[in-house]
Amino acid sequence: MNFIELFQQYFPSFSTALGLTLQLALASLICASIIGIIFGMFSVSKNKILNIICKIYVDIIRGTPLVVQVFIMYYGVAGAFLQPMDLNWDDFGGPFMAAVVALSLNAGAYMAEIVRGGIESVDKGQMEAARSLGLPYGKAMSKVILPQAIRTMLPSIINQFIISIKDTSLVYAIGIRELTMNSQIITANEPTSVMSIYVMAAIYYLVICTILSKVANIVERKLSYGK
Amino acid sequence: MENKDNKKVKVQVKGLVKSFGELEVLKGMDLEVADGEVVCLIGPSGSGKSTFLRCLNRLETITGGEVVVDGFDITDKGTDINKVRENIGMVFQHFNLFPHKTVLENITMAPVQLKKMTLDEAKTVGRNLLKDVGLEEKADVYPAQLSGGQKQRVAIARALAMHPDIMLFDEPTSALDPEMVGEVLNVMKQLAKNGMTMVVVTHEMGFAREVADRIIFMDGGYIVEQGEPHELLANPKEPRTINFLNQVL
Repeated sequence: MNFIELFQQYFPSFSTALGLTLQLALASLICASIIGIIFGMFSVSKNKILNIICKIYVDIIRGTPLVVQVFIMYYGVAGAFLQPMDLNWDDFGGPFMAAVVALSLNAGAYMAEIVRGGIESVDKGQMEAARSLGLPYGKAMSKVILPQAIRTMLPSIINQFIISIKDTSLVYAIGIRELTMNSQIITANEPTSVMSIYVMAAIYYLVICTILSKVANIVERKLSYGK
Repeated sequence: MENKDNKKVKVQVKGLVKSFGELEVLKGMDLEVADGEVVCLIGPSGSGKSTFLRCLNRLETITGGEVVVDGFDITDKGTDINKVRENIGMVFQHFNLFPHKTVLENITMAPVQLKKMTLDEAKTVGRNLLKDVGLEEKADVYPAQLSGGQKQRVAIARALAMHPDIMLFDEPTSALDPEMVGEVLNVMKQLAKNGMTMVVVTHEMGFAREVADRIIFMDGGYIVEQGEPHELLANPKEPRTINFLNQVL
């Protein structure tokens, strides 16, 4: 079979897997963004305890491999917390949910660092000007600081999104049939086309990531007010 | 609150102390500013003028003493500082306009966010203020497209949109090219003429002489000398004042 025929034959199966990859990516990126903003705020706040909590979280995530985090979340949490309560991950959406939680916590830590860096890049006179007008801290943050920070953050955010999309491939380790695991299963049926199958998987990832960075370029241009 | 001339007191500072760690920047300042009064703070750099000004709306945390602005004791933790700040406009050396908002949005944001006005009201107020500072045609451009003098005039308009009782100016012309200083000072003169209570940290002695009701000379965290502008500038008593004025005049 040539590449095109293979592509056609396995299009349905890859489509399903692609859907799963996209769901994993989308769900975890949304959660990671929320986590990132919250913990990013923690790390720039004046509260020392919040600073420390954030630092510990980021250090743990940054200092451990994602696969291990996925295993801890799926097998570890199941064994240590769910089983004693007579529960298992299937009560919470199965391995998919465990994967989303692990991916979210992982990307969330990196996002927190990006948010912190973005906020710190905004001139402190901006906060002073906003506060001097009577805006409370939260409003000054959301209306003045964050909209400016986001522009600095955007390239790093997109970079993190792209990394996270590719990182979804690691959850094959807990048996989720996303793009990577799907291609591995197919190679078992197509021992003579292993190269083609994996290249096909690579192309799927490449297309998603390329589309994402093109969209990012457009957004970035939209955000360059008056310059 | 009234002073001995039966004028309303807008700002009352007693024994204000401000330290940054070990460094004591303000060493017990006392000051009263009456309604409609224009006070200029002068002094060498590092004398604590800007820090003092920034204590008046608590942009700096106050280490000790009492600061009552507009009848609110802002050293009291129970005071809602945001409410007090709504009535204290502040203009900064580096303008600090919001670069992601147009000129008009810079002006309308606070009144709308703080629910003082609807967006339409705020826009009307904003356009009128822009007319007052001579920039009505710039309403829809972004700050990056303005000159320094224009930015500062917008910053003044932004502060005025909250209808403050008091305006604080922190070296408003120090970051400007010389040819733009006049346009900003003119706006401030107009404001003074209209009866605004103003506390101005400045190096513009001409402005201080012409507009101020009182000049305060600060050095080393103290008020060294104060008085009516012509009197103080012509006949300073204290050696430090004489020395400083010799350098700047």
